[in-house]
Amino acid sequence: MSLLSADAISLSFGGIRAVDRLSFDVQPGEVFSIIGPNGAGKTSIFNLISRLYPLETGRLSFGGRDLGRLEPHEVASAGIARTFQNIRLFDQASVLTNLMLGRYRHNRASVLAQCLFLPAARRQVLADREKVEQTIDFLKIERYRDKRAGDLSYGVRKIVELGRALVSEPSLLLLDEPSSGLSPEETLGMVFWVEDIRDKLGITVMMIEHDMSLVSSVSSRVLAVNQGSRLALGTAAEVQSDPAVIAAYLGQATPGRGPG
Amino acid sequence: MKFVRKTSYDYDLRLFPEPEDRFWYGLLAVALLLAPVLLPPYFLGQAVLVGIYAIAGFGLMLLAGYTGQISLGHAAFFAVGAYTTAVLEKTMPFVLAFPAAGLMAAAVGILVGLPALRLSGIYLAIGTLASSFIVSEVIARWESVTRGASGITVARIRLGDIVLDSDAKLYYLVLAVAVAAFWLGRNILRSPLGIAMMAIRDSQTGAQSVGVPLVRVKLIAFALSAALTGLAGALYAHKIQFIDPDQFTLLLSVELLVVIFIGGIGSLHGCVFGAIFIIILPQVIAIAKDHLPRYLAEQTGLQSAVYATCLIGFILFEPEGLHGIWLKIKRYFSMFPHYQRDSQKQQRSHARGESW
Repeated sequence: MSLLSADAISLSFGGIRAVDRLSFDVQPGEVFSIIGPNGAGKTSIFNLISRLYPLETGRLSFGGRDLGRLEPHEVASAGIARTFQNIRLFDQASVLTNLMLGRYRHNRASVLAQCLFLPAARRQVLADREKVEQTIDFLKIERYRDKRAGDLSYGVRKIVELGRALVSEPSLLLLDEPSSGLSPEETLGMVFWVEDIRDKLGITVMMIEHDMSLVSSVSSRVLAVNQGSRLALGTAAEVQSDPAVIAAYLGQATPGRGPG
Repeated sequence: MKFVRKTSYDYDLRLFPEPEDRFWYGLLAVALLLAPVLLPPYFLGQAVLVGIYAIAGFGLMLLAGYTGQISLGHAAFFAVGAYTTAVLEKTMPFVLAFPAAGLMAAAVGILVGLPALRLSGIYLAIGTLASSFIVSEVIARWESVTRGASGITVARIRLGDIVLDSDAKLYYLVLAVAVAAFWLGRNILRSPLGIAMMAIRDSQTGAQSVGVPLVRVKLIAFALSAALTGLAGALYAHKIQFIDPDQFTLLLSVELLVVIFIGGIGSLHGCVFGAIFIIILPQVIAIAKDHLPRYLAEQTGLQSAVYATCLIGFILFEPEGLHGIWLKIKRYFSMFPHYQRDSQKQQRSHARGESW
């Protein structure tokens, strides 16, 4: 059974069809990449899954549950975590606090227990801290632990945001352009991380990407979209050689960096 | 220079992790407990007011400093607390009326918070301001309960057989409540709820993406903030012993903002500094008036003008407030003789929300 399935979903902004009766499904354990020119509707797909925008038509279901009834914060509680294209970190707080916040959906301590810092609250915070430290280890960001998030470089902020998504132990991770703004070395590092996330952490990944080398290295399947609707769906190799995809987006089908 | 070697996660949770913290705070505790013996009566009365403003400041800090919901109308919660305790104490003892005042203020806080949920920035400020006018109108006109403009006289607090008939005795109660409020604020800040509140301040979308229920957390913030300020109002009613609507005006809301901004937004300690500032300032103005030219000294808006100037001055030149200055002084001594003018700038790479 697919983990996430989209059935003829649509979203418009005024007269502009951002997503146009799009259907696809994501299998558990795979890395599902979405490619396409700018303005093709890729981030809108993520925003529909996160319930930041309401669905105009169609149905989105996650693990069999209809997402259409959920509030944005309930999507996170259901086990979907995401990163943002323009990084939505908590700039005034330290990296540690940003990551601790990622554990919010696991919080079981009541408001009263937290106000009085009863043992239940203390246990909760210490358990969260253990998990956060594991992720800090995984991402190798120990030296930034106490630094203010707003003061860090762009590449590190991206990694911190990835960390915040990981600490929540999601079943599905939405990565919005994980390599944009990263150097080639950092992008290579991202390849390894996505592989580790899929293999060691067992998290299903959906990824919007422009860097075709990253896409071909890690993707199980690729969805190419243009103007809100599907151009092609298949393996990376299949999609990269699809004539419609080449015409709309890729240019000559050579492996390496794509446009944008 | 001091280097901290942490050996357990528990360290970060403790309120006084280092032995030297425990020493200095212990000294402070002794000084506070001995204050009624050491201070002349007039200053003791002022100390009670400092405590009351600090408690109200903690309330506003939770909402504005930590959740990022600016409120220009906190005088309303102060008034609700004062009036609730004044009215209820006609028929019930202080030990019941006091928490009831907090609960009533919390309820009003939720009512004010509901329409404010969708507002931000200046619209939120105006929305809270409007709510506060509504509350003061209700208080002024609901004469059957509040006796309107005639006001209510408030009896002294009776706790069992003890009557708090002096500033010294009231001081200990206010000190206890202030310490409890500070401890409460600190607990929230080291819990998931506290960081959820800070997340809402910095990025609402980011907060939603990790599962923070915006509506629920904002309303909890409004409720807790209003409750603390309401309890401060209840204590105020007993200090002044007579309350009427004219004591809870916009000026009081501005004074509370001065407490948190000049104290240092983002720091609970700052509220105490801010409270001291706000209590001392009118007296400094009064003394300075003798030395000012006539046309300045006799202006009716002089006090407000001075508040406004100080507020603007601090926001422009010392945005971390008195707490920021305090941190600079501490850093100067700990780094001696290597301190330079911009040493504090590096300190900013440590999160503002964490330096309590």
